[in-house]
Amino acid sequence: MSALIFIFGPILLAAIVGWLGRREGHWVRFVALGLFALLFLYSWGLLEAVPAEGYLALGEFLKVPAFGFTLILQVDTLSAIMLMLTATLLILVALSSWTIEKPGPYFALLILFAGPIFGVFMTTNLLWFFIFWELTLVPMFFLVGIWGAERRVYAAVKFFLYTHFASMLILLAFFLIYTQTGVFDMALVKESMLATPALIWWLLFLGFAVKMPIFPFHTWLPDAHVQAPAPISVLLAGVLLKMGAYAMIRMAVLMLPETAREFAWVILTLGLITLFYAGFMALYETHLKKMVAYSSISHMGLVTVAIATVSYGGLSAALFEMIGHALIISPLFLIAGFLHHKTGSWQMEDLGGLMQKAPWISAIFVLAGLAALGLPGTVGFVGELTVLIAAVKSWGLWLIVIALGSMIGAAYIIWTFRRVIYGEMSPAVRKGDFRMNKAEFAALVIFAVLIVWFGLFPSELFDVINQAFGSLAAAGGAA
Amino acid sequence: MNTLTTFLLLAPFLGAVAAYLLGRRRTQWAFWTAEIVGATLFVATLLIFFGYERPIDIPMQWFRFGDFAVPFGLYIDKLSLVMLLIATGLGFLDIHFAHDYMAEDPHQPRYYAKVLFFIGGMILLVSAKELVPLFVGWEFMGLASYLLISFWHQKKDPADAGVSAFLFTRFGDIFLFAAIGALYYVAGSLDMVQLNAMAASGALDKDFIFVVSVFIFVAAIGKSGQFPLFPWLMRAMEGPTTVSALIHGATMVNSGIYIVARLFDFYAAADALIVVASVGALSAFIGATSALVQREMKKVLAYSTMSHLSIAFVGLGAGSLAAGMTHLVNHAVFKALLFLSAGAVMLAAHHVKDLWRLGGLGRKLTGLALVMGMGVLSLAGIPPFSGFHSKDAVIAQALNNPQTAGILALMVLVAGLLSMAYGGRLWALIFAGEPRDKELYREVKPVSFLWILLPLAIMAVATLLMGFFQESIAEAVSGMGLTIPHVPGLLPFMLVTIAILAWLVWFYYVKRLDLTEKIAAQPLMQVIHKVLFNGYFIEYLILWFSKNFVVQSLARSVNWSDRKLVDGAVNGTVPFSRKVSALLGRTTTRLSGENAGAMALGLLLLLAALMAGGAA
Repeated sequence: MSALIFIFGPILLAAIVGWLGRREGHWVRFVALGLFALLFLYSWGLLEAVPAEGYLALGEFLKVPAFGFTLILQVDTLSAIMLMLTATLLILVALSSWTIEKPGPYFALLILFAGPIFGVFMTTNLLWFFIFWELTLVPMFFLVGIWGAERRVYAAVKFFLYTHFASMLILLAFFLIYTQTGVFDMALVKESMLATPALIWWLLFLGFAVKMPIFPFHTWLPDAHVQAPAPISVLLAGVLLKMGAYAMIRMAVLMLPETAREFAWVILTLGLITLFYAGFMALYETHLKKMVAYSSISHMGLVTVAIATVSYGGLSAALFEMIGHALIISPLFLIAGFLHHKTGSWQMEDLGGLMQKAPWISAIFVLAGLAALGLPGTVGFVGELTVLIAAVKSWGLWLIVIALGSMIGAAYIIWTFRRVIYGEMSPAVRKGDFRMNKAEFAALVIFAVLIVWFGLFPSELFDVINQAFGSLAAAGGAA
Repeated sequence: MNTLTTFLLLAPFLGAVAAYLLGRRRTQWAFWTAEIVGATLFVATLLIFFGYERPIDIPMQWFRFGDFAVPFGLYIDKLSLVMLLIATGLGFLDIHFAHDYMAEDPHQPRYYAKVLFFIGGMILLVSAKELVPLFVGWEFMGLASYLLISFWHQKKDPADAGVSAFLFTRFGDIFLFAAIGALYYVAGSLDMVQLNAMAASGALDKDFIFVVSVFIFVAAIGKSGQFPLFPWLMRAMEGPTTVSALIHGATMVNSGIYIVARLFDFYAAADALIVVASVGALSAFIGATSALVQREMKKVLAYSTMSHLSIAFVGLGAGSLAAGMTHLVNHAVFKALLFLSAGAVMLAAHHVKDLWRLGGLGRKLTGLALVMGMGVLSLAGIPPFSGFHSKDAVIAQALNNPQTAGILALMVLVAGLLSMAYGGRLWALIFAGEPRDKELYREVKPVSFLWILLPLAIMAVATLLMGFFQESIAEAVSGMGLTIPHVPGLLPFMLVTIAILAWLVWFYYVKRLDLTEKIAAQPLMQVIHKVLFNGYFIEYLILWFSKNFVVQSLARSVNWSDRKLVDGAVNGTVPFSRKVSALLGRTTTRLSGENAGAMALGLLLLLAALMAGGAA
């Protein structure tokens, strides 16, 4: 029962506080923060409690014998890490939304989001996974559609339709699995023989590829990011994309390892294309937030390349890069949104000389940017190095082309610094008042500290990450 | 020993934080923190140096991921120690000098923090056992140089210079990064000593070694400002002069040569040294000729750095570790001296860098003229100054080695001789002749002895004394003596040419400056001047290529395809889906609020069902 509360509790709570705080509801912020702190402690507890191998059972609910609809809740190290990441980001998102308009409904929706996202990572039943997966879209849709910028409705609908289409493919795959094996449980599917593993794999892969996103299914992301309020961008990049990557690892790789090895070249090719394609997009972009969005896609390309190794080291690198990416891209989004809020412009040429006006915010932007281009001492470098080593090991020497990705990264990041942070002050920056709310600033500082901390001491993360894929250790690398 | 090593590696970074935080409280404290940290670093290095028995070898592991381990070991041998002495010794003098040079800057805490970070990066780089910690130090220095070059970031030029420094060196760095990935896979080790041994024993494929060597050399080209990645070195003159001295003398540019020296056997195993020699000779020539015509005194020095590093590269490329590295050591000292002297001139003369506005300062700044003169003599290669021995050794080695004997040796010989011309021209235009800007001359104020002249004098004496200890330096950096192969007639030829060049400089830049201007006004001379002045237009070519090809063609077409093809395909379905939704719309048009309400109700029902099921 207890585990169930962390999924459905937030949903109920959201309904209650949403109703009570529908006018202004500043107090809802504290409720949300308290809840997220609780979720954080809970997922920390789970991380400590999971066994080195296999699942920690949290209960089975709704047992209908004739039908595989049992809500099985169980977590392994991988899901516990994802829960931990999600809870951390939720806290930071709540902090950085401290001065949002209409906080009552906004935070109620955030709380509503917390329930299903925890469900996604806690269940191993495919059907329930799908239900939670879809439910996360609902609060997201409203958060983008109501608190977004000028073209928010277009972006929200595009986002919804795009990912919905992907969901159809996933659902189809799940039904195929059920008809062929008679079970809806991931752990059992792995053991049983599928009649058409290739078809199922492709459906799953395409479905999750949209969410990650991988070229050529990425175009919803820049639109959604640009229109979304900055904290929601953090949620999109830090949690929703990670959900896609998690599902990709969990189902397209760990559940169907044989098929995944067979088609690993597809993942690799698309991952590499994503890495460079999005990098070039970012290079050409003059819209600050779009630049960050493309850089985010480019990093997900790196994650995809790491997944394509289908090896112990590669997946560990992928998970590290996922966490690193969440920490890096979030402050960039937050600061981009903050600048737009204060100057009214997204265009980099309207900015400039920010370092003179807001040195601390600029410093955090620079730090996160340097992490994005893979500077040692930050999580970005560890991510790139591990992906490079793992990819070369699995695919051969030509994979050193990954290094070129960090050159493109350096080019667009350094040019962004030049246009936004350094140089002479632009009129918009001169006029602007860049005082930031303390809670919002605290969120940025926490991101900055984590970027450096895990960059200097990656073992802190790898000690748990290595556990997550221990089962692959003996299985060896890709074909 | 291990305690000292740990101290050496941690102190600069902790000191950087301390300097910043204390400096925020009181600006003066930033300097004193840096000064004390700098001094203790030097003392610690000296202690290690004098207590040296065998290489300090500390294997460490950074982290494990999957079944891979990423090492982070430290290894300090004599070669590292010499580099450490340069970095900490010159670094300390540089910090000391900054007391006056940066006195009026309000952002001193930031400045000293970055300088200590910079020195820390170099210490890490030269103490690294594997390529990973080396790369970390390598990139730390890239970052520090970026931040220091654009230290005055509110102005356009320094901000641009920072971009150029970061991107040019980064382009090289990714090759080193790729080499790390390749070596980890093929050799299974990133330990540089072990790599040397493996290459020498033939355990690795020769072609593989060659390619990796070239990759690593590209990174060295970027950091050490060789052809074609040198333009950032000249742009970097926008930073404070103390930073230029740090980059050009004590730390950053040395790292490229250090890595080739560290992997010397690796390079030698696959005949990759000829690549090093060729690029080096070409850069030496470009640097020396361009230095001849620069108007700004710092740019003269920047091109001369490029040229002299190339001479060191040629020394390595000709197969003599001793000659190349000894020249690097000598160069580090006299170049730091020259840069700081230039800084002292700027301090005295209202930050004027233009050589045509200076002149005749020798009468007011005699001490400065003397110490800078010693730097120039060493640069020009006049015995018994240190520059003479190593330059002579490199040229002799290049002539002696059949692989480099032809055009390469000729280019490096010309470059070596021309350093007399541009060095002498620099000194003459600053200190000799008549003051060209009378007003400026009147306002020239003397420099402080303790903060400015003393560190310069120490370096000047060092560059003179080092001339008598070349054998020991060569012994320390390479384990061999500085054997100069005898090339008949080379020494007299060089001395005579240098004398002629010295006379020419005196005649054209002191006595008959008007004549020089007349010659320079000739159309042919103007064309040559333009080419040399702009560094053979290499920077324009690179920028043109990246702007037109990478950004305007490649990135732009990606952008076009994204809008028209990828996203276009999605938006193309809109008319179709509109029709569908119009059909469906008749039945499903509802308020979203109602939908949400219905959904909440459904969820509640579901929950009730779940609880019932769970209880069962």
